[in-house]
Amino acid sequence: MRTLILGLGNPILGDDSAGLKVAEIVRRRMAFDPSIEVSEDYAGGLRLMERMIGYDQVIIVDAICTGAHPPGTVLHLNTSDIATQHTSSTHDLNLPTALQLAATMNLKMPERIRIIAIEAENVLEFSEQCSPAVTLALPRAAEAVLAELQ
Amino acid sequence: MQRITIDPITRLEGHGKIEIFLDPEGEVAETYFQIPELRGFEQFCVGRPVEEMPILTNRICGVCPEAHHMAAAKAADAVYHVDPPPAAKKLRELLYSAFYVTDHTTHFYALAGPDFIMGPTAPVAERNILGVIHKVGLEIGGNVIQARKYGHTVIEMIGGRKVHPCTSIPGGLTKGITEEQRQEIEKMGRWAVDFAQFSLKLFDDIVLKHSDYLNMILDDAFTHRTYYMGMVDEFNHVNFYDGQISIVDPDGERIGKYIPREYPDWIAEHVEPWTYLKFPYLKKIGWKGLVDGKDSGVYCATPLSRLNAADGMATPLAQEEYERFYVTFLQGESDRYSTTWQGKVVHHHLATHWARLIELLYAAERWVQLATDPEITSDNFHTIPTEKPTEGVGIVEAPRGTLTHHYWTDERGILTRVNLIVGTTNNYARMSMSIKKAAKKLIHGGTVISEGLLNQVEMAFRAYDPCFGCATHALPGQMPLEVVIRDASGHEVERLSQHVK
Repeated sequence: MRTLILGLGNPILGDDSAGLKVAEIVRRRMAFDPSIEVSEDYAGGLRLMERMIGYDQVIIVDAICTGAHPPGTVLHLNTSDIATQHTSSTHDLNLPTALQLAATMNLKMPERIRIIAIEAENVLEFSEQCSPAVTLALPRAAEAVLAELQ
Repeated sequence: MQRITIDPITRLEGHGKIEIFLDPEGEVAETYFQIPELRGFEQFCVGRPVEEMPILTNRICGVCPEAHHMAAAKAADAVYHVDPPPAAKKLRELLYSAFYVTDHTTHFYALAGPDFIMGPTAPVAERNILGVIHKVGLEIGGNVIQARKYGHTVIEMIGGRKVHPCTSIPGGLTKGITEEQRQEIEKMGRWAVDFAQFSLKLFDDIVLKHSDYLNMILDDAFTHRTYYMGMVDEFNHVNFYDGQISIVDPDGERIGKYIPREYPDWIAEHVEPWTYLKFPYLKKIGWKGLVDGKDSGVYCATPLSRLNAADGMATPLAQEEYERFYVTFLQGESDRYSTTWQGKVVHHHLATHWARLIELLYAAERWVQLATDPEITSDNFHTIPTEKPTEGVGIVEAPRGTLTHHYWTDERGILTRVNLIVGTTNNYARMSMSIKKAAKKLIHGGTVISEGLLNQVEMAFRAYDPCFGCATHALPGQMPLEVVIRDASGHEVERLSQHVK
């Protein structure tokens, strides 16, 4: 079984980089396993769908702005749930539509896609650092990713 | 006074919304369009080496990192007063042409095309690429994915990475391409030319042969008589990577051209108290408010603008389409321009979609031209900078408008100041005008033609292909729109929405 752990985010846009930072923690904590790939990307919609072709399982880690949870809250989502920061784009499709396209085109998509989302506080200001609440949540989000693997 | 709010970006409170104020008679008094802006990029860059900018600025935005990479590389060349060798310029332009093919393909098939192919009155749920495939055939979906794959492959071969190119440095590139890679790039480019021609034929069959759609393009609600801007080569043909910026007036007459470092003589920015974003305008004409016409410095920078600001296309098939475009819209008047296309202009905003497909064909042809250039596999792809760095401006045409990067450094090449004018910002004034026009057409006596207003605003937005302050990753692909109508006391009387959870 081929698994992809994909951290999404912009490395220079504050809390938007949370997914990338979690992927880095996961990479350091995991024992080498050739069937599991940990990667970073900055993709939404079509590009994200194209990135997942050929894997059996994908775990996406991304920031989210729901406004409904305190910053740093770690959420477990499915693709049909509310869009995270990078599972949508005005210049592309949202993830559910891109996945529907893949199904229509008979592309080999993962049977299981899970999204670990971290409620962000600030995604509009350039910075390489996350806010304190999101920084504290990064190890918890990494745990959540590792738990999804079991 | 009634107040109507259209909020297309519900997850960014206080940003990215449209407010419409009605007068006591229920007619549109004023519209305000606020868009989000990422903050602090200038401060973020100050203190960093200028050579980092091509890999730093391409992180600003996930939609057109290639455009920022190129503008930054050209600005860094200028800062170091270094002229890259011809092979480096050609490789950069080749990468950029492949990027244009992927970007314009995605825009047409995933975003703009559905409005036409499914029809603007089709249910919102069907107006997407799945509806297009259902109507036109499964093969279309495969071709869209193939076009994107080929584009990304070329970007990776020359730019070192699929998404965020990293090979442009002051003076050229860090690597070239092999003959084997060149052959592969040429083959993919030839496929892209066929695909672009197919896309234009599709537009022809589905849009131009139907009077309803053609009438929609010609509708006054989507027409603004503004100035236009676009980069041109020495023959005044459209160029995306290098050249001078040409400006034509609402009568289609060229009022001038400028080289990158002269942009402050041409462009100024107007500030309004109700929005974070500034409105760029033509300095020589002046700011007269959100109005069109020859006395107003409002300009537009889109695919349509680039066609208007040029005298033609540099490749043969795209030139044929360029001529057909103007003959179609200028009808009886087109004979006036039979020898030269100077002085022609089209103001119909929705014609931008056709213009974008003509650019798609040009980009594909240019891809093949450059891939078959004898110099493209040269080992001479970098000139070592020897002069002291100072200040420099780099401009490219991003798919969604002219992109300007301006850097100042100290004698060590450390940035002391940065100024960017991004593609969409150029069109902020005209976008605001489009919204007001849609509102004025569809709101009378306090009554709103609700679905019409949402459609009209959404269609106007799509043609600009806006990149809101390069913050587009925070916006869903299917544009959520919410209109809240309140009475004079602030009570909600009606709420209309689409794609809002």
